[in-house]
This record gives sequence, structure tokens and C-alpha cells, in this order.
Amino acid sequence: MNSIDDFLILLQDDLGLPVTGADVGAGLDRVPGWDSVHLLSLLTLLERTTGRALPLADALEAGSLEEIYALAVTS
Amino acid sequence: MTGVSGSERPVAGGPSTLLDLHREGRLVREYPGVRQLLCEASDAELARAGQLLARLDPDEVVAEHPAVPVVTVAVTGHGTLAPLLPSLTVELARHGLLLRPHLADFDAYVFDLADPGGELYRADLALCVLDPMVVFDEVPVPWGPEDVERVARERLGTLAGLVARFAESARGTLVLNTLPLPRRFAAQLVDHRSRARLGAVWREANARLLRLAEEHERVVVLDLDPLAGEGVPVVEPRLSQYTRTHLSPALLAAYAREIGHLARHRAGQGKKALVLDLDGTLWGGILGEDGPDGIETGADGTHRAAAHHAFQRVVGQLAAQGVLLAAVSKNDPEPVGEVLRGHPGMFLHEADFVRVVANWRPKHDNLTELAEALNLGVDSFVFVDDSPYECGLVRHELPGVAVVPVNGEPALHIEALLRDGWFDAPELTREDVTRVAQYRDELVRKDFLDGFDSLEEYLRQLRVEVHLVEAGPAEVARLSQLTLRTNQFNQTTLRLGPAEVRALLDDPAARVLAVHAADRFGDNGVVGAVFTRRHGDTVHIDNFLLSCRVFSRGIEQTALCAVLRHARAHGARTVRANYRTTPKNTKVKDFYPRNGFAPVTDDGTTVTYEHALGVLPVPPAHVHFTEIPGDDGS
Repeated sequence: MNSIDDFLILLQDDLGLPVTGADVGAGLDRVPGWDSVHLLSLLTLLERTTGRALPLADALEAGSLEEIYALAVTS
Repeated sequence: MTGVSGSERPVAGGPSTLLDLHREGRLVREYPGVRQLLCEASDAELARAGQLLARLDPDEVVAEHPAVPVVTVAVTGHGTLAPLLPSLTVELARHGLLLRPHLADFDAYVFDLADPGGELYRADLALCVLDPMVVFDEVPVPWGPEDVERVARERLGTLAGLVARFAESARGTLVLNTLPLPRRFAAQLVDHRSRARLGAVWREANARLLRLAEEHERVVVLDLDPLAGEGVPVVEPRLSQYTRTHLSPALLAAYAREIGHLARHRAGQGKKALVLDLDGTLWGGILGEDGPDGIETGADGTHRAAAHHAFQRVVGQLAAQGVLLAAVSKNDPEPVGEVLRGHPGMFLHEADFVRVVANWRPKHDNLTELAEALNLGVDSFVFVDDSPYECGLVRHELPGVAVVPVNGEPALHIEALLRDGWFDAPELTREDVTRVAQYRDELVRKDFLDGFDSLEEYLRQLRVEVHLVEAGPAEVARLSQLTLRTNQFNQTTLRLGPAEVRALLDDPAARVLAVHAADRFGDNGVVGAVFTRRHGDTVHIDNFLLSCRVFSRGIEQTALCAVLRHARAHGARTVRANYRTTPKNTKVKDFYPRNGFAPVTDDGTTVTYEHALGVLPVPPAHVHFTEIPGDDGS
């Protein structure tokens, strides 16, 4: 996963979420189709994809997809 | 790492993948084809497919495809269980089923099990997912084995009472599971004596849980130890700590796979026959080239010979529990017969198979003919072969067949065969252990038939005997099984668990008849069932079913005549019966009209017929029928 576009494809193709670039910066409660279960699935998926452990406690408190992406690529 | 690396993305221009269908918004429209797209999926691919399929609205799928079998599954338990739903969705989709899930509130299992008005009591499958924190959430610090023993006893006492209550009045099957013991708890006890004691009290609690399945008919307890023993992690500590998902996603996925097989059985789609390739599968080597002395099988032979022999023992073990065995091999029949009759290294012999097909024709043609000869649907077959070519061809030509590919490492054949619980059932019946003999007799009957010029003469010589009995406790398991296994002669596909059959026995308005049959070749046992219900002066036939082994011998007409005679003799004015169409029961759609019933309503799926009890049909003359005493009004 090298870019925010890869991250979007992951959300669309692996979680089935109908998200666009415009949703990335919005609060999670405004992401279409989002619920708290997606967060768990997404974090598991990100770890599988990047091969790195995410700081889950921080990721669980992220307010937007953008913040989660930032944790995934910097951790 | 597996999952979504670029190399796993589908190649443009190839056949549609699940991901293509998702991207194009066609998953609902193409749902019946999803099963085929999943049949070769890896665990990682199944996980992804589960995410996509779990987004579909089951109502939309049903609206588009009314024939897709729907299984309602209510999920309750102790921890966070939402991550289980995608796994359940995909595991049911693998079997062509559609999941209609209901997820209970967090940690609501005590409330849900005690609430007869809730979803748990209405579902086909009610999953109560237990985890180690059911106990450890209540254990104080510092703790010793005796604290765990006390808490476990309390929690299990509560649970046992709730389960008994559920079993009394719920509709479906309750699935519990054992509690795995994570090392993170055992290792907190530093002395080995205490640690061993913890292990003992923990297993005593699990043993008590497992015994709940013996105490209640509609309770299944999944033992998670064998799943964890395969190397699946029990706990993902971060998810457990931060989100109270106390069982790891991998263990939940393995759990969901087991549920998929229970759901398939519940939907009447259990597998019945195991069809094996020979060269490279049942034995090593190629019979046509290596000769009988050159093939590899035998407990005391080479490593590979012993591995094939061990595989045969497992196949034999399945067959002993009612799985029909057949062989389909590209070989000349004579050497195959020679090996199956006399090879000293074989564990399986000719008599273990209902049929051995050795020829050079395409295997899918042989499988289709075998299904016809056994009067089974080809989708009740599990097919094992070491040739990727044969596996691929059978998958392509016969999508309903479960294909189990094995490879050149015979020590892994057993795991490949058992990876999916293709033949799983809640319990066995008397008929299961004699099934192979029954089907072999059936093939002898077919040969006997070939010796006659007319069907009438054959039937007369067959000396069919039918007797009907009011079902009692002894027939409950078999009658339930008939409703679950029978797909062809099943007028309404009303599936009933043992407890539901038992409830009908206790219902004064309901009548449950078991159809016994025998002929010159022996006793067929309980081969059919009729479920009726009296409303005023109308008798409703709720369902009428007959084992596919014994169609078209007059048994069904004989039983129907008896039901009509009984109705008239007991003051009924009409008998009504439904036929509900399914993909597999069309050959019996004319059963009622052929026997004097007239259609009353037809909504496109269900036809209701009525018999005015004026002129009753005459039972076939060749059948010797034993009436239930008093049934004809005498």
C-alpha cells in the first residue's frame, strides 16, 4: 500500500465500502456504510496488507479514515 | 502476508471473479453463481469475500432468487461477535445458502437464552458463542485453580438451566462451544501442581458443556480444541483487550466453517456419497502401468504405501457411519476388480463400495450415471481426485459436486478429505449404519428388474410389503433425518429436527406416520413419512416424503390410499395437501393429481390440492399392505 488511492481501493474492494476520496477526511460517522465493526476488519486487513503491527489502541480512537491511513503508513 | 497484494488481483479479461461482480454491483443478481466462484478460494480470499457478501441485503437476494435456500442464524454470546458475521456469510455462501443473520447485543447470551420471544428462539441455528472470559471476567486477583473451578461451576450451572429452557420450546438448533484455555492464563500460575489443577478443572467444565449435547436433542456443542490444535490462535490479545473480541478472527473463521456444515445439513443439503479416484488417490502409482503388484498400498509397505492404507482406513471409518462409497477411475475394469478383491495391502475391498466404475469415459459422465443408478442428486457427491485436470473438469461440468483435490503427498489426503465436514450430522440413526448394504441391495434389485419384460411382472415378483405405523419415540430420529435428507420425493421440504418431530407426536391434532417397507431382498426399514394435521373436517397433509431408494414401487400410492381411507373412516370430508416446488422435487409434482386430487390454489411456488373423498384411489395390487389396526374404520 503506497498511497491513499491504494487505501481507497482496499476500502472499496476488501471491505465493500462505497467510499470516495471525499470521505477520507470526514469523520467516521459520516463515511457511507460505516459502523464500528468495519474498524476492526479494517485494522486487521491493514496489518495483513502492510505486514506491520498497527498501534491498535490509537487506531481504535482515530476520528477519520485519513488518520487510520496515517497510522498504517507511519507505524 | 496474504490478502490483497497486487499479484492476487484478477487478470483483466478472464472470467468474472467475485471482486468483478462486487465492483460492477452484480453480486445480488449473480448470487447463485457465487458458490462456484468460492470453491477454490484460499482462507484469505474467503475472508475478503465474506466482507463483500456481508454487505448484501438478504431481502434483495431473496427477492431476486426465491429458490436460494435461506438459513436464519441468530448469534449471541459473551464477547464482541460482529467480526463473526462475514465469516458466517461466506461459509454459508460456499454451500449455496444465504445467511439471514441476527446479531444480539453485546454479552446478552443469558438474557437471550431466557427470552422465548426473542430471535434466538426463532432461528434455524442459534449460536451462543462462549469464550474463556465467560469465566475469567469473574475470577478475582489473586486467584488459584479453586477460584476458576467455583466460577466455572456457577456459570455452567446458569447456562445448563438456560439451555434446558431453550431446548423445551425453541424452533431450531442451539450451538454452544467449549472454552479454549489460553496460555496467558495457565502461565499466570507459577507452580506446575496448580497449573495442572487448572487444566483439570477447566477440562471438567468443558466436559460438562459437551455433555449438554447428550442431554438435549436440539443442542450441538462444538469442541474448539481440535480447531485450536490445528494451530489456529485462540486469542488475539489486542482485540481481546481493546474490543472484547475474545476469540481470534482466525478461530471465529474456523468456527464459522463448522457452522456452514450444520447449516447445510439443516437446509437438507448434506452430502451422502464419497466418490474416489483410484490411481494416486486410494493407492499410489498407476495400476495400468505398474500392475497390481506395483501399486502402493499396505500398512506394512513403503512409507507411501502405508500413507495410502491410512487414508483408506479413514474412508472406511466414514463409510461405517452411512457414507456411501463409490470409485470412479480411468482404468480397465478387470485389474481394478482384481485389486479390490484380492490385493493384500488394501484396507478397502469391493464389498465396501456401492459401485466401482472403471472405464475410460469422462468422469463427469460417470458421476451423472452413478447418481442416476443410486437415485441420488449428483450434488450429494463428494469427489476426491489427485488429478487437477479431473478436479477442474468435474467442477466445471457438475458445479454441485464438492470436489476435494488431493496431491502427490498421500500423508495429506486425510486432512484434505476431512478439512470440510462434508458428512457432518447432529446424530446417526440405525439406517445410517446399514446404508451401504441397502444401496447395494438396490443395485441387485435393478439387475433383477433387467430380467423382466414388464414392470408389472417385476413389481409382482419383488413382493413389496408396506406397513404404516403411528410413529413413536423409536422412529423420531429417522423421521427427522428423512425430512432433512430427502430432496426428491419431498412434497413441501418441511425440514424438522428430532425435537420438532417429537413435538408433533405429542400434538393431538397432528398425526405422524412412519412408512416401513420390505421386499424379497430384505427389509428397507423406515423409508417414508406422512405428516398430517386435522382441522375440523379437513385433514391436511403437511408433508409426504419417501426415500429416493424406493420410488415408483407403489409404496407411495399405498401409503396415500391409507391416509385417505383413514380420513374418510374418521369423519373427514376433505383431505388437502400442498406441493411446494424446489429445484429437486419436480418429479413428484403430479403425485397428488395422479391420485385423484384437484388443485385449489397455485401461487407459482406452492400448489394446494384437495381430495373430496368420494371415490378413493385403488392401491397397487402388487403391494402387500398391513393396515394400522382400526385405520379403515373397522
